[in-house]
Amino acid sequence: MTTILGVPSAVLYGQLLLGLINGAFYAMLSLGLAVIFGMMNIVNFAHGAQYMMGAMGAWFLLNYLGIGYWWALILAPLAVGAIGIVIEMLLLRRLYKLDHLYGMLLTFGLALMVQGMFSDWFGSSGQPYSIPQALMGGSHLGFMFLPNYRAWVIAASVVICLGTWYVVERTKLGAYLRAATENPMLVQAFGIRVPRMITLTYGAGVALAALAGVLAAPIYQVSPLMGADLLIVVFAVVVIGGMGSIMGSILTGFLVGIIEGLTKAFYPEASTTVVFVVMAVVLLIRPAGLFGSKPEAAQGQPQSSLSAPAPSARTQSLIFLTVAACLAAAPIIVYPGFMMKAMIFALFACAFNLVAGYGRLVSFGHAMFLGSAGYVCGHVAKIWGLPPELAILAGTATAAVLGFVSGWLAIRRSGIYFAMVTLAFAQMVYFVALQAPFTGGEDGLQAIPRGMLFGLIDLSRPANLYTFVLAIFLGGFFLIMRLVGSPFGRVLKAISDHDARAQSLGFDTSRYKLVAFTLSAALAGLAGSTKAIVSQIASLTDVHWSMSGEVLLMTFLGGVGTLYGPLVGAFIVVAMQNYLAAFGQWVTVIHGLIFVVCVLAFRRGIVGELIEFWHRRRRAPAATQAVLRKVAVATKE
Amino acid sequence: MTDGAVYALETRGLSREFGGFFAVNSVNFRLARNSMHAVIGPNGAGKTTLFNLLTKYLPPSAGTILHDGHDVTRLSMPAMAKRSVVRSFQISAVFAGLTVRENVELALLPEHGLAWNLLGRISRHRGVLDRADALLARFGLSEYAETMAGSLSYGRKRVLELATTLALEPKVLLLDEPMAGLGHEDIGRVTQLIREAGRGRTVLLVEHNMNVVAELADTITVMVRGEVLAEGSYAEVSSRADVMAAYTGQAHA
Ligand SMILES: Nc1ncnc2c1ncn2[C@@H]1O[C@H](COP(=O)(O)OP(=O)(O)OP(=O)(O)O)[C@@H](O)[C@H]1O
Ligand SMILES: [Mg+2]
Repeated sequence: MTTILGVPSAVLYGQLLLGLINGAFYAMLSLGLAVIFGMMNIVNFAHGAQYMMGAMGAWFLLNYLGIGYWWALILAPLAVGAIGIVIEMLLLRRLYKLDHLYGMLLTFGLALMVQGMFSDWFGSSGQPYSIPQALMGGSHLGFMFLPNYRAWVIAASVVICLGTWYVVERTKLGAYLRAATENPMLVQAFGIRVPRMITLTYGAGVALAALAGVLAAPIYQVSPLMGADLLIVVFAVVVIGGMGSIMGSILTGFLVGIIEGLTKAFYPEASTTVVFVVMAVVLLIRPAGLFGSKPEAAQGQPQSSLSAPAPSARTQSLIFLTVAACLAAAPIIVYPGFMMKAMIFALFACAFNLVAGYGRLVSFGHAMFLGSAGYVCGHVAKIWGLPPELAILAGTATAAVLGFVSGWLAIRRSGIYFAMVTLAFAQMVYFVALQAPFTGGEDGLQAIPRGMLFGLIDLSRPANLYTFVLAIFLGGFFLIMRLVGSPFGRVLKAISDHDARAQSLGFDTSRYKLVAFTLSAALAGLAGSTKAIVSQIASLTDVHWSMSGEVLLMTFLGGVGTLYGPLVGAFIVVAMQNYLAAFGQWVTVIHGLIFVVCVLAFRRGIVGELIEFWHRRRRAPAATQAVLRKVAVATKE
Repeated sequence: MTDGAVYALETRGLSREFGGFFAVNSVNFRLARNSMHAVIGPNGAGKTTLFNLLTKYLPPSAGTILHDGHDVTRLSMPAMAKRSVVRSFQISAVFAGLTVRENVELALLPEHGLAWNLLGRISRHRGVLDRADALLARFGLSEYAETMAGSLSYGRKRVLELATTLALEPKVLLLDEPMAGLGHEDIGRVTQLIREAGRGRTVLLVEHNMNVVAELADTITVMVRGEVLAEGSYAEVSSRADVMAAYTGQAHA
């Protein structure tokens, strides 16, 4: 048997083939993302769900209607593309003038809804889809065995990629498309209907994802979640390649697939994380991405910001004391377990809000801080047997270090790219947690001891535990309140308003962002550590991307950039989890729906809308008088 | 002009290219200390790009920039501000989510040692509050102190931007079209404010309003298509035929 660098050559070629196949899917999906982003400035977070819908569509056609692979290859993309067109016309169209992040949030909500519905209907386990008759078997190439279906997928994907490239870069239609991204008014003036062109582009991008899904069905298991994890890798691919060029997306997709395949052959432990490592290296040496030459597109006007000044220090202390008193008294009427869970998530959401709301750095990966801190805290308490205060300290410190390192890399990009980078890093942490020896894999760490706080206070007693959680929450919240109201908080807010202007006034804006991000990570870690002590488990759910989504949900529902919004949002979301648990997957659907509604109609969130309402009512009489005065002056003239 | 070889700002062969197009093309430019210097030129001449290069908002494609005789070509934007070279933006740049008073206070934080104060409150620092009050009064913004900057009229935003910039007491002040979008009354007032601000410091301004340029500037540089076409006093520059020719193609008020 021949070996190459210690690896049997058959294994190496096998992994290279697998890498090429994966790369084909990365290329097709990142290509669709690039086309959609180029045209509409929307990062289509539903891309993974739409890919899944393609595969599911093929499965459905076969098992319910008896329609086979070849027809599915046409029908499924058409159907999913049509759904995409409806989505664009009903929803996305309303977002074009807003910050790109809203598009990402809305499509994230859509993805949750689709995944939730399919999970409910289909169950979350995978189903096989058999290879079509014509492509069964394979051929011996001498050095390896090549299954026909895999050869077909590679050939088909290359044709699809090059075809798309040709249409966009070399045809008249593509020229119109590109011109419309640069200057929609001008193209409109030439008699081309730009809105319809945008709709069709989105439909085509979505159909492309579904087509990839059908191609994937016989290779991977068909399941409702097949698109979610894949999409995160595709985001990393997009960050590596830069979304500026079609050919760049294609090449990067295949390149990353091959790198992954090689890693699987030579160092299998790293095969799930290597993409993210490559991304980190690219961020270090070429922050704009390998093929990214275009500067980051200018952000639209963020509209979430409040038009009301912050309340006075007195009012603030008053509100804080009231909230503290309510939380302290709550266990009399509310189940304490619920309160503790809600407070922990509220601290997590407030920490997230520190960067997302005040620094306008919307991270899609905050679960990595919550989860990793939980693991470290649990390990220190359980295996090392140290008291809870030290365990929590260790967890918090771990999250802070992780925040510093990931933040240092992530703040090289802004807006949507920042979101994708943080999401990708969090996924890397997830894979580490899945594989590392001390995290307990799928089971997690269980039976973490609560122990004696400072050797004096027995945390296994419910009243003590409640007081402890309350103190941590109030302490963390108070710290955030002070940070936001401090000169530092002022600078942070100014940076999120106008980074360049803040720099021109002498503020080193990346350092502020990094400090804010690290603090936010540390506080999220404090929440995660406390969670581990209270729930006595540390598990994969706390590092999973859906947890990052939940903290986004809490914060945007309650009111991003308001002090109490995340608190309100956390209580609502935790209550929903508790009382709607019987509905199973429909909770995910509801989460998704809330995202969609928030983005479309409710961008300030509950607390934000209340503040706005209050101020408008107070201002209204003054404004009316001003108008009356003007009218009086005008009539005199 | 001073005779000393050291200038507040000096560029040597400074160029900036955008995909093959030179917005600024080997410009040798000298800004004498304590002068009031205007850069004029038709739209797209490269004036803003020159500003962006001087304040490090953009990296140059070639050439060097000297500040007080030191090479500052590779410094960052905040580093330039710390060297007391501060600019305003052509498109009014205020912090929309902060009140007018908060905007001005922000600029005062570094010199009061508060730029990295994480837990304190600005309202406890009388020094900052008093200076902010004085600045607001000087710029006629006192009655808008608690208004969100984003909801000010365009003219007031420009005045606020000027107030914030001057709060830093910069030695070198770069103003990109401070009069753009202002009404008649405002122009007179802002001209006066700039003249006052110019005492004891170096001012470089880009301006399309020739009356303002004639009134304020002691030296004028004319830029056309990324290059310096002429330099001199208002009388010298305005009498040159090539300058007139460069402008007649472009209609300007
Ligand atoms: N970031 C950029 N990318 C590409 N081209 C640019 C960029 N910035 C400026 N340019 C181009 O450089 C040229 C000079 O622009 P600049 O803004 O410096 O002109 P200006 O003299 O300030 O004009 P105006 O009087 O209109 O403000 C213009 O043709 C402009 O299109
Ligand atoms: Mg300009």
